[in-house]
Amino acid sequence: MDYLTEQTEREATVRMSGRLTFNDHAKMRALIKELMLNKAKQQTIELSRLEFVDSAGIGMLLIAREELANSDKQLVLRAAGGQVKRVFTVAQIDKLITIQD
Amino acid sequence: MDMIRLGRRRTAKGNDSLPGEPAAQAGVGQPASGPGPAAESASQHHADGDAHSGQDVSGRALLERWIGFSHLQQRTLEGLRFELGRVSDLVENSTLDISGRFRDLAEVAREQTRRVEEIAVLAQAIEIDGEPIPLEQVVNSMQELISEMINNIVYLSTKAMTMVYLLDDVQREVVDLEKSIGEIDAINRQTNFLALNATIEANRAGDAGRTFAVVANEVRNLSRTTSDLAVRMRGKVTSVVKGVRKGHDILRQIANTDMSPQMLAKERVDKTMDCLVQQTHHFQRVLEGAAATSGEMSGNISTLVTRMQFQDLTKQMLEHARDSLEVIGVGAGELAEETKGVLPAGAEVSVPQEWLDHLLGRFTLSDVRQRFVRHLLLEGTALDDQGALDTTAISQDSAGGDVELF
Repeated sequence: MDYLTEQTEREATVRMSGRLTFNDHAKMRALIKELMLNKAKQQTIELSRLEFVDSAGIGMLLIAREELANSDKQLVLRAAGGQVKRVFTVAQIDKLITIQD
Repeated sequence: MDMIRLGRRRTAKGNDSLPGEPAAQAGVGQPASGPGPAAESASQHHADGDAHSGQDVSGRALLERWIGFSHLQQRTLEGLRFELGRVSDLVENSTLDISGRFRDLAEVAREQTRRVEEIAVLAQAIEIDGEPIPLEQVVNSMQELISEMINNIVYLSTKAMTMVYLLDDVQREVVDLEKSIGEIDAINRQTNFLALNATIEANRAGDAGRTFAVVANEVRNLSRTTSDLAVRMRGKVTSVVKGVRKGHDILRQIANTDMSPQMLAKERVDKTMDCLVQQTHHFQRVLEGAAATSGEMSGNISTLVTRMQFQDLTKQMLEHARDSLEVIGVGAGELAEETKGVLPAGAEVSVPQEWLDHLLGRFTLSDVRQRFVRHLLLEGTALDDQGALDTTAISQDSAGGDVELF
């Protein structure tokens, strides 16, 4: 998994690409820390170029949401497609995290 | 004297005519033979004033012929009555038979309807543990089960990753701990060194340094104790590290197990369930159609059986016909007897052969022909119980003339 961060006053956007699996757990932790530190209230992860997410990846995204919520920030997942979208649907992620198309 | 024309038109040769056109030259008392020439002249047209005796003779001949014909007529009528009776019986028996079969058919159709309705009911539910559960309910509960399962997978995945992060932190702390123990060792070595120096200085100071030497010695002891403690601590920390690392490894294996294919299996299950429900609805529609058709069949058959009642009417109509024939027959017989009484003794009455042949020649059913033979020639005495020809009785009778029996 790779990512690029863009930031404005109100919103931070992370463009994620590749495959999000267990092996990315250290990287993901670093990303979460980064999001915690920046000042924007809304943190968006843009997923259109993410091809695949495994069950560990789902767990990590949920950890991210919780940590951000504890800091009074909101996590949004945007433009999921393919396998990622199917997993989100089946796991009913929209009940746990804000999903946008 | 007029001749009675009987029915059919005559050709010049009289081939199509009814036989028995009076063959004048045949004379009185002889059986008429073959289709006689239909010559108008060959008649007993004694239209003008013949001699009285001639008129008597021709009149008598005519009467004799009439009587012969009347006998034939009577027997024909009886034969017809008999045949009509047979027709009536045949229709009655056949109708009863057919009605019975239709009723059986209707029963079968009703049985089918019952079975189809049973299937329609069964198709709506699945029996689980002896209880019929509607299909929609079964499908919904299965889908709920799977959703719960997936929720558990997501929950476990989240917790597993949280644990991985926690153990990452613990391992880092442990590294710090080991460092701290190392520092304790260093401090300890320093303390020991200083205490040793102090002892040496104390000895050099002699008596004045004796108290100091004691303190220095205690410090050295303390140092040794600390050293032992540090060794034990290090041992424990090493065990903890081993344990944490092992746990960490196992947890990583758990967290690394990708359950996303299992989660995606729900898509397939959902689709299958939808198809199942749709198919069941389709079944139901078809079965409802089948039940309706079966019901329609039963209805049609009932109507059919009702329509068989034509047989009653047929029987009555045939009975009327038979009665009429009987009346005519009796009347003809009476008249013949009266006529016979008028004739002088010695008059010969004979069966008009050509009429007979013509009559019998027209039957295509051989058994009908046989029965008529009996009636016409043998006065009905040689028929057995079924109205069939009793051939032994026939052979004994010679009044049949030339009629062939087929």
